[in-house]
Amino acid sequence: MDNERRQFLKQACWTLLGGGLMVSGALSIPGRAHASGGRQHLYVFLVDTNRCIGCGKCVAACRKENNVPQESYRTWIERYAIGNDGTVHVDSPHGGEHGFKPLPNAADIARSFFVPKLCNHCKQPNCVQVCPVGATYVSKEGFVLVDERQCVGCGYCIQACPYGARYMHAVRHTADKCTWCYHRVMKGMQPACVLVCPVGARMFGRIDDQRSPLYAVMKQEKLQVLKPETGNEPMVHYRGLDKEVR
Amino acid sequence: MKHAAHILRLVVVLILVGVIFFAVRSIMVPEDFGTQGSYSYGYFRAASEQEQKELVPVFRGSEKCKGCHDAQYNTWAQGKHYSVACETCHGSWHAHNNNTKDAMIKDNSPDACMLCHASVAGRPATFPQIDSIDDHIARKGGDPKEGQRCSACHNPHNPL
Repeated sequence: MDNERRQFLKQACWTLLGGGLMVSGALSIPGRAHASGGRQHLYVFLVDTNRCIGCGKCVAACRKENNVPQESYRTWIERYAIGNDGTVHVDSPHGGEHGFKPLPNAADIARSFFVPKLCNHCKQPNCVQVCPVGATYVSKEGFVLVDERQCVGCGYCIQACPYGARYMHAVRHTADKCTWCYHRVMKGMQPACVLVCPVGARMFGRIDDQRSPLYAVMKQEKLQVLKPETGNEPMVHYRGLDKEVR
Repeated sequence: MKHAAHILRLVVVLILVGVIFFAVRSIMVPEDFGTQGSYSYGYFRAASEQEQKELVPVFRGSEKCKGCHDAQYNTWAQGKHYSVACETCHGSWHAHNNNTKDAMIKDNSPDACMLCHASVAGRPATFPQIDSIDDHIARKGGDPKEGQRCSACHNPHNPL
């Protein structure tokens, strides 16, 4: 009897000691102390669905700027057509790159509009969390980027993204996606899609830049994001977003 | 101890495995990996940021066109197409400047105009658009059979 009790106490001591070591080890991992790593999320992308005309210039310019392989898209345009009976029809032929054709049953459509989509550069990105090799990350400025040299092409991030913004690069066989034209923005330029948009349906800038037209919009307008319920905290904001848009 | 030799051998093998593991790891993992913050978002190769910054922009903005194409630039800057960048229709500056002059797109076919101005479901009602070019020409008092282009009446750089 005594022996059993002694045995139990002994084991309990070892367990506690081991557990304590594990916890303290986890806490001492470098970088845990400054969890944010000095990251800031000051850049915002704004899409105005009231203005988009679905010409596809943004999709074409993005392909040229970033050498996006055919049939892959870093940005694309969806057309929503909501029928008089409430049915929702969505089409996006070639991502809208060559524009849109008129719909055959125009009389049955209650309302229709274009919704440009792209990577949301979330504050809490799923895609970064699931990467097993540290090949996708959040830059100091809050851009979600892919390190093509580290990527092993497992595709976890492509599945994790709730917006379908990622694709497998057909040539490199690594994950790829919109960078908000990181290379341009860091040189003080606008993203290529924003530059070529003929109707100003896309805006980009820093939230704290008072000279930017985006500043006033962010302050005054009622804006929405896509799928807020996922908790990713997307940074692409939409003006005039219809309730049917997913 | 009866099994001392066995245990010793096992320990030596384990140590060897450990040494090889850490040696390979130190070669395979870049030095600047994981220096940028937390495991969840900051665990990456720090040099990747710089590599991405160095990519060369292809589209350069309308100001780049000014010096050589002053006449067109000034017409455009005063017109209704001012919101449309040069490169939206003419293609990227990079292609034009790096290769030949032919690389600049000069497409004044009706298709080029109709990409934006065709009446298509989804376009805002306030945006100028037409159902068909023939109807439009007929309504304006022209003859569709003459095969006129949009640019016969509208200057693409400064349309009416």
